[in-house]
Amino acid sequence: MSLPKASPPHLRRAFVAVHRLTIVISETERLVADPVPGITAAPHDDNLRYFDVTIQGPDGSPFQQGVFKLELFLPEEYPMAPPKVRFLTKIYHPNIDKLGRICLDILKDKWSPALQIRTVLLSIQALLSAPNPDDPLAPDVAKHYKENEADAHRVSREWTQLYASK
Amino acid sequence: MAKVPRNFRLLEELEKGEKGIGDGSCSYGLEDSDDIMMSHWNGTIIGPGHTVHENRIYSLKITCSEAYPDAPPSVQFLSRVNLPFVSQTNGVVDRARLPVLANWTRASSLETVLVDIRKEMASPNNRKLPQPPEGTMFE
Repeated sequence: MSLPKASPPHLRRAFVAVHRLTIVISETERLVADPVPGITAAPHDDNLRYFDVTIQGPDGSPFQQGVFKLELFLPEEYPMAPPKVRFLTKIYHPNIDKLGRICLDILKDKWSPALQIRTVLLSIQALLSAPNPDDPLAPDVAKHYKENEADAHRVSREWTQLYASK
Repeated sequence: MAKVPRNFRLLEELEKGEKGIGDGSCSYGLEDSDDIMMSHWNGTIIGPGHTVHENRIYSLKITCSEAYPDAPPSVQFLSRVNLPFVSQTNGVVDRARLPVLANWTRASSLETVLVDIRKEMASPNNRKLPQPPEGTMFE
């Protein structure tokens, strides 16, 4: 899709807005047609850019058997700007804070318009398997993970049972 | 335009509040840092200079419902204050009598509520109203 270079600015802006919305809709269709194992994402009826998400805790991680609720929002600038995502289910993880905010490079400076909702959710699932206590968002959890990983895993498992059981 | 959902809007407001707004005469933050629904907030207003409120610090409680920011927050003074839009029994702000709440839009925010209340404190009608003793609280 392209517009002649000489188009007036209001037309160009409308064109960009429609183009970005088309990307949102086609990504959503693909997510529904070809879902990612262990992940669900459903847009709200009244806001196509706002998704209810669930992620299953990966096998072999302390989050195994848990189902975590998240919310995801695609801002107006998406895909030029990254999606906004946070956990709604409490989780004991060094890169996720008390309000469910996630420290993940692709959600910030490492975002690329080539990435998609699908890749973002897979990266979050991978973060559950591979916490990174050297780049913490929850300093007390990170300290626990670094000083006594076995005990930190025990707490992560407990929280998973308490807050994320199906 | 994309409509920013309540929770992401409140996260933005929280981050702005944590950095500090304006000249520091108004501030706000979450009552509990693990309030995942971000419903309960504390606000602080430093009384404007050259008024009866000068140097006074007022604490407020702000509650954001499920409908925020389509609907305005509920606001209640914890510190005693005499203003025409504040109930003298419990400190609750009368939505109809405070312009920022009466004319609420999605462009309004926790910041604009506090800034507007402070502006009202300094208005010609309110700046000299007799005030309860400093530091007293509503029961």
